[in-house]
Amino acid sequence: MLNNLKIITEHWGKINPLRIGDYLNVGGYSALGKFVEKMDPQKVLEEVKLSGLTGRGGAGFSTGAKWELVMAQKSKEKYFICNLDESEPGTYKDRMIAENCPQTLLEGIIISALTIGAKKSYIYLNGSYAKAQETLERAIAQAKEHKFLGAKILDSKYSLEIEIFSGAGAYICGEETALINSIEGNRGEPKIRPPYPTEAGLFDKPTVVNNAETIANIPWIIQNGGKKYVKNATKLFVLGGSVKNRGVFEAPIGTTIKKAITELGGGMQKGKEFWFAQVGGASGHLFLKKELNVPMTGSGAILVVDKTANIYDLLLAWTGFFRRESCGKCVPCREGTFRLHEIAERLVDGEIAQRDKEALEDILWTLENTTFCPLGKFAAVAVRDAIDKLGILK
Amino acid sequence: MQIKINNKKYAAKTGETIFQVCMRNGIKVPTLCGSKDSHEGLCRICVVELVETGRGGKDALKCVSTGKLLTSCNTKVYAGLTIITESENISKARRINLELLWADHAGKCATCKKNQICELQKLAQEYKIENFHFVPRRGEMTNSEEQKLLRDNWSRVVVENENPCISRNSEFCVECRRCINICPEHKFGFNHRAGDVVVGTPYEKVLDCSFCGKCVEVCPVAALTDQNDYAKIVENLNDLKKFSVAIIDLGIEEKIQAQLKNITQEKNVEKILIELGFEKIIKFTEKDENKEDEIIEQIKTDYARKEKIDPKNICTFFVSSKIYKKAQKNKYLDYVLSEREVARLVRDKGKIVAGKVKR
Repeated sequence: MLNNLKIITEHWGKINPLRIGDYLNVGGYSALGKFVEKMDPQKVLEEVKLSGLTGRGGAGFSTGAKWELVMAQKSKEKYFICNLDESEPGTYKDRMIAENCPQTLLEGIIISALTIGAKKSYIYLNGSYAKAQETLERAIAQAKEHKFLGAKILDSKYSLEIEIFSGAGAYICGEETALINSIEGNRGEPKIRPPYPTEAGLFDKPTVVNNAETIANIPWIIQNGGKKYVKNATKLFVLGGSVKNRGVFEAPIGTTIKKAITELGGGMQKGKEFWFAQVGGASGHLFLKKELNVPMTGSGAILVVDKTANIYDLLLAWTGFFRRESCGKCVPCREGTFRLHEIAERLVDGEIAQRDKEALEDILWTLENTTFCPLGKFAAVAVRDAIDKLGILK
Repeated sequence: MQIKINNKKYAAKTGETIFQVCMRNGIKVPTLCGSKDSHEGLCRICVVELVETGRGGKDALKCVSTGKLLTSCNTKVYAGLTIITESENISKARRINLELLWADHAGKCATCKKNQICELQKLAQEYKIENFHFVPRRGEMTNSEEQKLLRDNWSRVVVENENPCISRNSEFCVECRRCINICPEHKFGFNHRAGDVVVGTPYEKVLDCSFCGKCVEVCPVAALTDQNDYAKIVENLNDLKKFSVAIIDLGIEEKIQAQLKNITQEKNVEKILIELGFEKIIKFTEKDENKEDEIIEQIKTDYARKEKIDPKNICTFFVSSKIYKKAQKNKYLDYVLSEREVARLVRDKGKIVAGKVKR
């Protein structure tokens, strides 16, 4: 059975997310207290580096390394951004964090922001997360009342403002440079790197952009130490599709997809036969039954598809998503995703021509090799796997 | 620092892009979105391939391709950078991206204002874009299904002829953003998203600016062109009863010559204009600088009286790159021709060789 230690989901459902008192009763904000009283930014950085915490948004970049890059910058003004623009289809773990225990997230943001030397922090919230926005707004107001936020936090030299920036729900704005563009008031589309956000990010100042789940781990690391986290690191899994239990689960990092499906998900629903699992949302790879014994990577979403599903409808949904969500900046992604969707429409009707097969190969190649940002590559992943592993063109 | 392009060493400065180094050394790299100052890396046509050179010192050609494509226009050089500018992958990338662009383009070359000088057309010719895998163009529609696809494809097309100076037609647009970057008044931007993206004005209002014409100059295709009644102009020029007078603005001659560089060897602009059918040519000198309107007015009044020509039969053309003049046409000034329109007249007329029009 899987290890039962819970870091992020510990208090879910047990406390009222709208009341800070509940969170304080279970030991909330003691990590912040510890930071203010006994630690300094350098010490926090050491702990985080020791913990080996990596980005939970999908890319998996080392959080400590990212912070260190920004801390080394001389600029007086720095920004910390919590990326809560989760718009990958089938992924809603960050929303659950914000709705179920917003104070953990806030505490994490406060410690992280103070560590890197930011005086202003943003929560970039997906535009359609209305409930999450409400709980977060309440949480921020209550944290301010308790002096966890604002000027002179807990009567120390630190001060911090947190602003919720509601995006418009664009998928591309989860990419950090596009997210920064969006907060700056520009069109949400990626910028060329370098300069990396760690050097010149929001308003050209050094900026850290971290995923909400990553940040939610910080209070635990501060309280229990980085060393302990290495053994106990967890990851949120979002199970969907034809499994018995659907929803968000916390399990040790490195849990295989098979274990996640059988133990967390409780196996397949009655009478359903496993076909493949898509891991990581619409941009995720497809795994057949024999390939499931690998550790889970990426954003944590698992879509379990059984044999009754119509693969062409799924294709239409995936390609439709990218056709809608491409920002339109570069040619291969703007035109490629459009054509991919067009061909998928014809696939659904069963009217695929030889010409389409050639075109499909060309589009996938150009998406994989020439797009401006990774979104273009993502758009090709599932379709490529469907061709290679499921043989949809045969 | 030194970088290696196609197995040759070149000097480069920090902060320069690969594209700039290539241009300086005469290495051809095609681009569609880049203009002189802006390099957005959108068209993905200027790609070059990153390679690792083999150890064999002399065997320089033994470079190992990493298969990684870089956009030359926005990748800064660094010491030890080794790239090649032509390879199978590069041609493939250019071909597919051009094909994709072409499928989104109007493709009405024969009647297009920019025929023969269109940058997309040139690239398509160069990379032999012959296979149209994608949506057929309008003329080739064969069934209602394709019509459905087309409706989706063209639904966001914006055609604007309401303003007096600049004609916009997003049917031709390749979304290169040159106009967005160059406009000093920031009149253009992207509307909508993804495959529906359209370069346009805020809320698609009629373009209202000072009409400096910079956007028309940089547009690689016919999305932004001079507003004019071209058929009427040709009619007037060919009409023997009409007396066509060209008033040439200061500095326009060089611009016309630049436009006609690859079209005719004739350098003398006056001769070219006479070949086009102008009867009289008046040149501005520096002392006339602020008297444009006065001089134009004199043609249909003083000059007509002197030469005993009915002013109704005089047709005045102001040849100038000041396209905002198009908005100030009056009974004394019939047409304003920019250097691009003169070039178009020449192109349509055929090749002018040493003063003679060769059909």
